[in-house]
Amino acid sequence: MTPSDIAEDRAARQLVRRAFERLTGRSGEPVLYALMDDTPVGLIGLAAVPAGLRRLDYIRGEDPFVERLLALFPDRPVERSNALDPVRRELERYFAGRRFTFDTRVDLSGLTPFQRKVLGETVKVRAGHYTTYSQLAAKAGRPRAARAAGNALHDNPVAIIVPCHRVLRGDGSLGGYAGGLDAKAWLLRHEGALL
Amino acid sequence: MVSDALSLLLAKHGLELARHLRRLVRDDDVAADLLQDTFLRAHGALSRLRPGSNERAWLYRIATNAALNHIRTRAREAAALERHAAECRTPPAWLADDSPGGAHTEPDPRHTAVWARVAALPDRQRIALTLRVSDACDYDEIARRMGGTAAGARANVHQALKTLRKEFR
Repeated sequence: MTPSDIAEDRAARQLVRRAFERLTGRSGEPVLYALMDDTPVGLIGLAAVPAGLRRLDYIRGEDPFVERLLALFPDRPVERSNALDPVRRELERYFAGRRFTFDTRVDLSGLTPFQRKVLGETVKVRAGHYTTYSQLAAKAGRPRAARAAGNALHDNPVAIIVPCHRVLRGDGSLGGYAGGLDAKAWLLRHEGALL
Repeated sequence: MVSDALSLLLAKHGLELARHLRRLVRDDDVAADLLQDTFLRAHGALSRLRPGSNERAWLYRIATNAALNHIRTRAREAAALERHAAECRTPPAWLADDSPGGAHTEPDPRHTAVWARVAALPDRQRIALTLRVSDACDYDEIARRMGGTAAGARANVHQALKTLRKEFR
């Protein structure tokens, strides 16, 4: 973008913020979102605030995703944006099998300390490997809280980047997954953890 | 506060339509008003939008119409102002000859600019002309009312008319 494009873009964004504030009472830093519609695991919605990526969701369409963001951030404007292009590129590399790690900064605010601990341990499970709900609970300091660990993963706001798909049941079965078990199996096979 | 249906429309299409409107009107405050009008109107008419029809194209139509209406209104206002300004400069009949008026005792709004210029004439010219045009005095009468001679009154009126004719034709 040329400097005048950038100035125009900023002016246009300003108009949208004025409209949000006047018409809906939503003000302040907008929540930015983008869609990825042709991934091997289906339609994905991304959302970010200045502190980092807040959502990587499996979605059915743009409207339900934006409605979810409007509910999650009841006083913020929500805005479709190409500011998430770097995250999209990292995900494209991931889906192409060129790179299985992410540099994207995630923002896990709004979660309980235990949820954060569980997700923090999940990030340490490298591609090609997997762990179980009870092993994860033990690493998070609550060895008997396998179910609570499962719930924490269920509430994972940034799927794939926090790789909750690498956590299985103790008996080796897949357990659950927000994107569906087919997606979970595809991701594990893609990473070489499953045949 | 309006429902989140409006927020949803703004989130999805706000930026694109803001760019569109800024290109059409080239004034950010006007574009801001038009953007808000567009989304309010769209939100009000949302129930009439047939499912499956192109929401984005529909919003573009509303925004474009709002901008065109604005531009047309502006043009009409500018034309009316210009017409009014031209009318104010219409020379009154007495400007063509120095015949005493009488018909123009009521200030005619079309001659506003002429009378504004009359007000700026030197005192004796202004008074002599006003007596001649508005009170339909002959030169003897003007001389009686102002002091001085009838020839002096005639000279003052002629000088005033000469100045005005140069500016209003």
